[in-house]
Amino acid sequence: MSREGVGASILRKEDVRFLHGRGRYVGDIRPAGMLEVAFLRSPVAHARLIGVGKPEGAEGRVFTIADLEGVGAIRAASALPGFRASGQSVLASGKLRHVGEAIAACVAPSRAAAEDLAAACALDYEELPAIADMLSAREPGAALIHDHWPDNAFLETSREEDLSGLDGIAAAKVTRRLRTARQCMVPMEGRGVLAEWDPRLEQLVVTTSTQQPHVIRTGLSETLGLDEGSIRVVAPDVGGGFGYKAILLPEEIVCAHLAIRLGRPVRWIEDRLEHLTASANCREHHYVVTAWADREGRLLGVELDATVDSGAYSSYPFSACLESAQVGSIFPGPYTLPRFRYRTVSACTNKPPILPYRGVARTGVCYAMETTLDALARELGMTPAAIRLANLVPPEAMPYRNLVGKVFDSGDYPEALRRAVAHFDLERLAQRQAEGECVGFGLATFCEQGAHGTSVYHGWGIPFVPGYEQAMARFSPDGVLEIRTGLHSHGQGMETTLAQVAHEILGVPVARVRVVHGDTALTPYSTGTWGSRGAVMGGGAVAEACRLLGERALAIGAFLLQAEPGQVELSGGAVRRRDGGATVTLDEIARTWYRRPQNLPRDVDTSGLEVTGGYRPDPDTGTHSYACHAVIARIDQDTGEVVLEDYVVVEDGGKLLNPMIVDGQVLGGIAQGIGTALYEEMPFDAAGQPLAGTLADYLVPGATEVPGIRIDHMETPSPWTRFGQKGLGESGAIGPPAAIVNAINDALHRFGAEVFDLPASPERVLAALEEARRGR
Amino acid sequence: MTRLPIRMTVNAENVELLAEPRSHLADLLRGELLLTGTHTGCEHGVCGACTVELDGAPARSCITHAGACDGATVRTIEGFEGDAVMAALREAFTAEHALQCGYCTPGMLVMARDIVLRLPDADEARVREELSGNLCRCTGYRGIVAAVMRVLDRRRGLAGPAASRAA
Repeated sequence: MSREGVGASILRKEDVRFLHGRGRYVGDIRPAGMLEVAFLRSPVAHARLIGVGKPEGAEGRVFTIADLEGVGAIRAASALPGFRASGQSVLASGKLRHVGEAIAACVAPSRAAAEDLAAACALDYEELPAIADMLSAREPGAALIHDHWPDNAFLETSREEDLSGLDGIAAAKVTRRLRTARQCMVPMEGRGVLAEWDPRLEQLVVTTSTQQPHVIRTGLSETLGLDEGSIRVVAPDVGGGFGYKAILLPEEIVCAHLAIRLGRPVRWIEDRLEHLTASANCREHHYVVTAWADREGRLLGVELDATVDSGAYSSYPFSACLESAQVGSIFPGPYTLPRFRYRTVSACTNKPPILPYRGVARTGVCYAMETTLDALARELGMTPAAIRLANLVPPEAMPYRNLVGKVFDSGDYPEALRRAVAHFDLERLAQRQAEGECVGFGLATFCEQGAHGTSVYHGWGIPFVPGYEQAMARFSPDGVLEIRTGLHSHGQGMETTLAQVAHEILGVPVARVRVVHGDTALTPYSTGTWGSRGAVMGGGAVAEACRLLGERALAIGAFLLQAEPGQVELSGGAVRRRDGGATVTLDEIARTWYRRPQNLPRDVDTSGLEVTGGYRPDPDTGTHSYACHAVIARIDQDTGEVVLEDYVVVEDGGKLLNPMIVDGQVLGGIAQGIGTALYEEMPFDAAGQPLAGTLADYLVPGATEVPGIRIDHMETPSPWTRFGQKGLGESGAIGPPAAIVNAINDALHRFGAEVFDLPASPERVLAALEEARRGR
Repeated sequence: MTRLPIRMTVNAENVELLAEPRSHLADLLRGELLLTGTHTGCEHGVCGACTVELDGAPARSCITHAGACDGATVRTIEGFEGDAVMAALREAFTAEHALQCGYCTPGMLVMARDIVLRLPDADEARVREELSGNLCRCTGYRGIVAAVMRVLDRRRGLAGPAASRAA
């Protein structure tokens, strides 16, 4: 391994600008003549919109949907049978369907003045009964959110299997009703968009805080009626994504339209109130799980009824069913489940439209499966480790196809579990429990499908299907290696890791590799950064582009060395004769191509030192990283506070491109998972009003809430990817709620109590203890 | 609209500007003075992204009224070039992978520098407590805490990285 190639924990190239306050986010960019937008937003969850009264004298600066002629609605359909598409007007049209829905764009020289305009608008509406809870969405007589639908559901999926015989043969059967809270993703930077028309290039330039610049360009083209060539989307530094910025925004479309129409740069910057009240859009699931097991703890079957609160509209590009349609197929997790029946519903409610938050469905599914397994283990008198070992896919079965057709590529799942457990002194814990301490141990094992591609997505029929990921590689005349990727790096460190991949192939020092991303004008098409695909797809594409570029350089180098191509090789940033003779550096080869063409061979490849390489793993059904999370939690029975005493993760992401950066992804994900487990919740009242309007009400973990976390890596290469790497960017956020609540319930069940719903807040823990006391 | 004349020293330079009474210090820094290294994450004083040094102590520029800043001395992330503690913190933040998206970083650094100078004997638990007013959504804090401990340890003359202690 080279000191800075694949597998090296080199420090990040991108850090310097951030450490000096020179990062450049949308909100930092202010072209001359810029106008700012504030949106008049719906104060109610469900209403018939009657009209907007524009402030006198400001009629030309307030825009409703009636003013946006030629702008199409957002349509994110899915081809899954039975899916009901919802056209989402970019500004409310006819009805208001969630608090915070944009109704009018108010334009002024400053944001404050634009907000004044919004406040001066008169809003006329007739309130309708709100669907504030996913379980009441389909009750007979429920108000219809989309009037032409028969009921409030985007999609229902199911799998039939006869489970009727299990009651007779099972040694244990448990049923659990579980709920996860609606969350806000809370990237530290909110969304933001700046649109301007470039009259010279006759091009709309949209600078936006997005994870998917190329997909946004397609979406803008479809809704604005412009060809894609006349749109350039730039994603500058982006202050955290997590899925929140994997969406075509109504605000992007409105700002783009206004920039063209007004001939001025137009900017909208989301503030935190908008984020919290207009965009609580993820993670809210309800499960009824019944599981049967034999005496040894082997699962005999599972019946699952899952509902996902998908909100009011189908977001572009991932659609309203992105979670519910996956719940069934990922529920079996890392286990050899023999029988399985499920029904899932993607409920339409008067809440902000669902988006894919880090972990996408897996966090809730893992929570449901893992807490149910622990309930079974308690029923059978087994340890949590033992019941999992009885069901995990064994390493000798890899690659393994489970009963719903998921194929796991590689790994030793039981070993991850054994290693995690070995980090703890469980005898000491048992002693503490015997002494009456309210303390418990919890486990979660799961696998994460990442970088899944064409073969998985074409069946979904959402607005895009990921295909070959491309990268461009070229030498500048002085030998700097430029890598261009259509992915976007917003914290993942790709400016470093992709440079490491390039170094691995060509030997150019990482300091001489520049990774360019975040601009449709400069990079090849990509569906962007989502689905834990950057390392696998970007890494593979950059490696392929560099391999092709190396071949070009090798041919020129051989000629300069007066050798046959077969007599030379590329290593250490130079072409050298295999017989140990002369070398010529890649810098010199670049200089020759650009500035000394008289020295080139007559039959040189005239495409020069600039190539595009494409990559797709084969098969492309996705890598499966996996992990075991293990935690000890102590509960204060007076306050209900949960303290995480120790937290261990054993994680297998295959070959790690940069272990330091991988650790960062895992740790950051866990902090978010701790938020899901213990703190984060956007409550809605019966009228559909969001009740947490500041970060003092919506609690995000701080430095005192996240414990010291120990990470133990396994590195089982994926047989399907370029370096054996697997996607694991979301993994950290999947396991914590399951592991933590299992630890809480390990403690609480000794007092006759159990927690079912997330977050396991002090209020819920105390309520569980109180109920147990009353029941006794 | 009434505008308030404000005189401040910002990053060792005297500035004079007119501020809307409803604007806050971060508005002035970012909007009027183009010092965009100071970020706003919540604009209600919780997340700490906008932390700057105001008259020698960390302050949340998003809830510091512009009108209260007349005569103040302000230092933003752009104003610490040549500061040895900040240089050590920057180096430690990189070494400990204490930043990902970079958005909370300027506020974190201003707060971290204050901790290092004010609490030379702080242990990890104290550092976490002191950082609890600065939110980071990317890192899970381990790297940030380790970076602050690394600088504290070095200043205390201890050998070796703080990573293991903070892990």
